Amino acid sequence: MEQQEKIILRNVNFWYGRNRILDKISMKIAGQTITAVMGPSGQGKTTFLGLFNRLWDDIPGAKADGHMEILLDNRPVTPIRKDIPTPMLRRKVGMIFQEPNPLPMSIAKNMAFPLKLAGIQDKSYREAKIKKALEQAFLWDEVKHRLHTSALDLSGGQKQRLCLARALVLEPEILLCDEPTSSLDAHAANVIEELLVQLKTRCTILMVSHNPDQVQRIADNVFELQNGRMNPSDIPSKHLPG
Amino acid sequence: MMRTLMEKTITFLSWLMTLVLFSVVLFFIGYLLHKGLPVLGRSLVFGETDPMQAILGRARVFDGLFPAVMGTLYLVLLSTALALPIGISAGIYLAEYAPPAAGRRFGFFFDILAGIPSIVIGLFGFSVAVFLHKHFSGRISPCLLISALSLAFLVLPYIIRSTQVALESLPAPIRRTAPALGATRLQNLVYVLIPHALSNIVSGIILSIGRCAEDTAVIMLTGVVATAGIPSSLLSQYEALPFYIYYISGQYADQAELDKGYGACLILLGICAVLFILAGMVKKHLTHRALYKV
Repeated sequence: MEQQEKIILRNVNFWYGRNRILDKISMKIAGQTITAVMGPSGQGKTTFLGLFNRLWDDIPGAKADGHMEILLDNRPVTPIRKDIPTPMLRRKVGMIFQEPNPLPMSIAKNMAFPLKLAGIQDKSYREAKIKKALEQAFLWDEVKHRLHTSALDLSGGQKQRLCLARALVLEPEILLCDEPTSSLDAHAANVIEELLVQLKTRCTILMVSHNPDQVQRIADNVFELQNGRMNPSDIPSKHLPG
Repeated sequence: MMRTLMEKTITFLSWLMTLVLFSVVLFFIGYLLHKGLPVLGRSLVFGETDPMQAILGRARVFDGLFPAVMGTLYLVLLSTALALPIGISAGIYLAEYAPPAAGRRFGFFFDILAGIPSIVIGLFGFSVAVFLHKHFSGRISPCLLISALSLAFLVLPYIIRSTQVALESLPAPIRRTAPALGATRLQNLVYVLIPHALSNIVSGIILSIGRCAEDTAVIMLTGVVATAGIPSSLLSQYEALPFYIYYISGQYADQAELDKGYGACLILLGICAVLFILAGMVKKHLTHRALYKV
């Protein structure tokens, strides 16, 4: 694997039963970048993101093949070959979804949830991690006095930032964002965009988006997924001349 | 115009049917109260026996419903306790672990089980009792345990299906939250899926409790008798309220005796209501605890 490349895909295919969703996807993604995937609905963009954390594992009839390499802890792993336990992979490859999905518990417990799942028992260590992640998500100042209130009482934008912080608390190396701003108002969406740009110094971000303006503003690479094939998009990324 | 008229008609009919059903239920409960309330009292339950002596087991009640009340309670609690672990486990397996084809086959099988008339299950329980009596121990005959096992068999499909449906109907955002954070399948099930589905699972259990409390056909063949006192062991015969109601409504000698049947109906409804409320409280408490557990 080349030094700067975080992800390499060569001829990766994905099927639901006999239905091929992804067709010979080949791409290279450098570390600490934002890569956006666009395309019409129902083309498999979310499925594509799910390749990286094997979110399709439990879906009957779903299977993937091809060569896929991710650099985690400076060690190449191949999720398709299952050479890393799924829970461990998912702690290194975080994900946030289109709809914010906080659990019906307090903000603090939502944040502690992934740490406890990972078996981290030290309370003071957990609290430090939670504070750091909430700060990274620009949420600490807004919630520090009400950490023990229900996460469901937060606004839509705050909920999404909480979900982002909850993913960040495990310090993932790759962050998958499935249309993270599509259910938010313009202001909340701007905050998330700004946040993602700051986060890319810490992790590699793969994002699905339907918003060309957003992609143009924040993405370093833009791809278009259509009929199962992935191609560089016509939409200019921020590093390319418009 | 036509569409609006159609919509209004359907809305009105739906409203009317709901009102009719509500009125029928009100009339039904009112009728039972009218008939049963006058006879409802200490003597109906305890007869001439001192209630405290009867409750403490120091005196036997011969002319009251106390043994039938206790028999019903034992039966409901025992059969529910027998059915719950198996039913919930099978429901979880079907929803979360079974391959689709196996899930469909097992689901079909449980639907058939749910459709078996209770008298057939009663006959099966009776046959099991006869078999055990012949081949294992002469002490075993139709008894509380055989009745409870038969009733558990009867309500298993309800518990299995309600657990399965409760889990399967959880929306994708809830299903994938914990896995995306690195939860194992078991952690996801224990910390997220079951707590979220608990409310609907307990609703299925409440239905099962009602079924255990009311079914007469099964217990008629498997151990209930008109006079047995409070069962002293699982292998004892017992009395139960639904059987008393069935018996008295077929054999009553005068109006006063039939009215005692209505009183027994009210007590049975009261027991069901108490069990439903308890199950509801457990549901609320468990859901809260489960969701805040991790």
